[in-house]
Amino acid sequence: MSLWVFLQDNLSMALFLTWEHLWMVGLSLLIAIVTGVPLGILITKNRKLAQKVIGGANVIMTIPSIALFGLMLPLLAVFGHGLGKVPAIIALVLYSELPIIRNTYIAIKNVDPALVDAGRGMGMTKWQLLREVEIPLAIPVIIAGLRTAAVMIIGIAAIAAYVGAGGLGVFIQQGIARSHEAMVLAGALGVSLLAIVVDLGMGFLERRLTPRGVKA
Amino acid sequence: MNMKEGTFIDQTVAKGVRFLLVALLIITGIAAERIGLVEYLSDPWEREYVLFLVRQHLYLVAVSMALALVTGLAAGIIVSRKRFRKFAGIVMYVIGLGQTIPSLAVLALTMSFLGIGSKPAIVALFIYSTLPIARNTLAGILSVSPSIIDAAKGVGMSPTRILLEVEIPNALNVILTGIRIALVINIGTAALGYLIGAGGLGDLIFTGINLMRTELLLAGALPVILLALVGDYLLELLGVIIVPKGIRMAA
Amino acid sequence: MIEYDSVTKIFGAGKTAVTATDSVTFTIEAGETAVFLGPSGCGKTTLLRMTNRLESVTRGSIRVQGRDIMEMNVQQLRLGMGYVIQQIGLFPNKTIAGNIAVVPRMLKWDKRKIDERIDELLRIVKLDPEIYRNRYPVELSGGQQQRVGVARALAADPDILLMDEPFGAIDPINRHQIQDEFLKLQAQLKKTIAFVSHDIHEAIKMADKIAIFKDGKLVQFDTPEIILMRPASKFVSDFVGADRALKVLGLLRVRDAMNREPRNVIQGEFTAEEALRFMEDNNFRHLIVLRENRVLGFVTRRQLKYEQGRVEELVEKFPEELTAREPLRDALSAMLMHDLMSFPVLDDSGGFSGTISYRYIQKSILELYSESQDD
Repeated sequence: MSLWVFLQDNLSMALFLTWEHLWMVGLSLLIAIVTGVPLGILITKNRKLAQKVIGGANVIMTIPSIALFGLMLPLLAVFGHGLGKVPAIIALVLYSELPIIRNTYIAIKNVDPALVDAGRGMGMTKWQLLREVEIPLAIPVIIAGLRTAAVMIIGIAAIAAYVGAGGLGVFIQQGIARSHEAMVLAGALGVSLLAIVVDLGMGFLERRLTPRGVKA
Repeated sequence: MNMKEGTFIDQTVAKGVRFLLVALLIITGIAAERIGLVEYLSDPWEREYVLFLVRQHLYLVAVSMALALVTGLAAGIIVSRKRFRKFAGIVMYVIGLGQTIPSLAVLALTMSFLGIGSKPAIVALFIYSTLPIARNTLAGILSVSPSIIDAAKGVGMSPTRILLEVEIPNALNVILTGIRIALVINIGTAALGYLIGAGGLGDLIFTGINLMRTELLLAGALPVILLALVGDYLLELLGVIIVPKGIRMAA
Repeated sequence: MIEYDSVTKIFGAGKTAVTATDSVTFTIEAGETAVFLGPSGCGKTTLLRMTNRLESVTRGSIRVQGRDIMEMNVQQLRLGMGYVIQQIGLFPNKTIAGNIAVVPRMLKWDKRKIDERIDELLRIVKLDPEIYRNRYPVELSGGQQQRVGVARALAADPDILLMDEPFGAIDPINRHQIQDEFLKLQAQLKKTIAFVSHDIHEAIKMADKIAIFKDGKLVQFDTPEIILMRPASKFVSDFVGADRALKVLGLLRVRDAMNREPRNVIQGEFTAEEALRFMEDNNFRHLIVLRENRVLGFVTRRQLKYEQGRVEELVEKFPEELTAREPLRDALSAMLMHDLMSFPVLDDSGGFSGTISYRYIQKSILELYSESQDD
């Protein structure tokens, strides 16, 4: 009940934090897509490079997020951005790269070689082949990677409240600091709900964007 | 040995080298802040405190992982049994939903119900680590080819024997991946345990952030990163030892 | 011996119920290979899988070596029969030796005996134990894997083998080879075999008896010859193919059809003139010329006309030699190719033992036909 009261009293704050949270996650995803998808396509041409890039992204994934914030803080402090949205967004982009690069790579690699052959046989250029055949077939898998990334970084963005990035994590942070149980609950449930809704939404998108002929 | 096995070991070694490189990189990172950190760690009392926090961190991880291993493996195996298999879809869905919930939220929610201290933290870590283990155990066993199970039944194996000799060995790779994911998440999430009064290396990280004291920050962050990387690497090595060669070669 | 007695299998219940096998009754005698044949969905695989209780029997009973399978411990039942499937189903986590050792280990054989048995079996299926013993299934080709599959099934020397399209996933060249080897093996081992196939050629080749199924019903159970010559229904005749008479020729041997006392034969020392008169008197178109029971060749009337001297100096050689063991199909092919109405048939030591001709081939097929009609 106290949760309900708290939300009524702080509705504009809750909405603002949700918006802030989504905005950080969205921007990070956008950056990760712009960098990750081309990289994922690029490394399909070179197996060794692919292993290195994906292996590297894997190592980043192994680093706990709060520790990554801790590492970046002194480095970015040199430029005056130790706290705030900059370290948060850098971290969110880094964590999004692995699922995006890996899924792009796998998706393009898994396009039936016979199709690529057929396309080439019809006289398509490499670029046309990519645009007409490989990318359309790979899109659902890339979206799936995006979905994994989005859900993951919504959680990490919550932790970023501790380096002053804002977002729904602020409720959790402030709530714990002030022993304000309703505030903690509001933050925890809010973040969870956000993650679940985004997951469902992107799952829907994933199915919608799968070409009819590709659906099993 | 043959080629495939050779490259597999090569890859593992290469990963080890890469891991050393990362460690080296981190050490360069230290260099930037060396003076502060070295000074901090050279104080015997502070060093003792860091080691105490490492032990506390490991305690949180070890207890919750042990519980998660037992529960996750058992749950995965039980749901994969013929009698419960019809629930596999629902169980997978629920696990997926659980994994969607952010780790900080799980900790915060656990705190709301169980209060502060190491016990609620262990409960949260346990729940969060059980999910990938149970999921991969179930998925791994379900992915064993039906024709292999058919053959196993056909030669007269009992269900228990099929589980131990066929299903688990063939699913081991996937199960181990689940355990690796769980361990890495667990070590990272344990660093948040400080927020609900469980101590651990998060103590130094969050104090460092609040006071803007880089040496504290690094004294907490670096061990956490090392723990995660080493834990992950050790489990990968374990895979080379315990996953049957015939499976690794097929992968 | 496997006895199927009114075996019925119904999947599902109510409106969605599907009858997979419908009151199937027949017996596979000990040492016999019975091929279950039919289009997909005819119930042949279900019947096989009921035999080792991978599927339950809805109604009726199956007896193995005289015992009702439902009264036996299911693991014991399966340990007593080898099982080979199309997907091969080798355990990827075990070595080749480990795969073969599965059943002996369950039967608690001692280690040395198991090791000896593994090597023995690998040699039987023509894989060098030194090379293959410690390999893993992924390292073997499909054909090699299925050899191991057969070895695994034979490991504890069961009396019964259940084989579900065992050679179906193997490429044609290897398939023929492995079929031939398996036939030789079976000639020694004399297992009782239930063998599922959808390939009429494989069935004719492997079977002592063929059981043909349609929509869960057994439509005919007989020897391949009778199935081919006297199909019980239009379904069977369609299934075995329009060329079924030709398929029979592949099953019959020259010795089944040959003329053992041919009259168009002459000894080489007779003169051309005598031979020509002999032909004209009997209205023969050609004569087979012999000396000391060896075939020298043949002569025709045109060759003999206006010739003096002995026939053996005038013979034309036969372009091919046929033995009594050859399939009739090969004999017929030789006649067609060389435009000859009859050929001499040689025994194993090369001596003349009779002739084979179009007429005799036709007669034997007709005999087979009327014989089966009498049944």
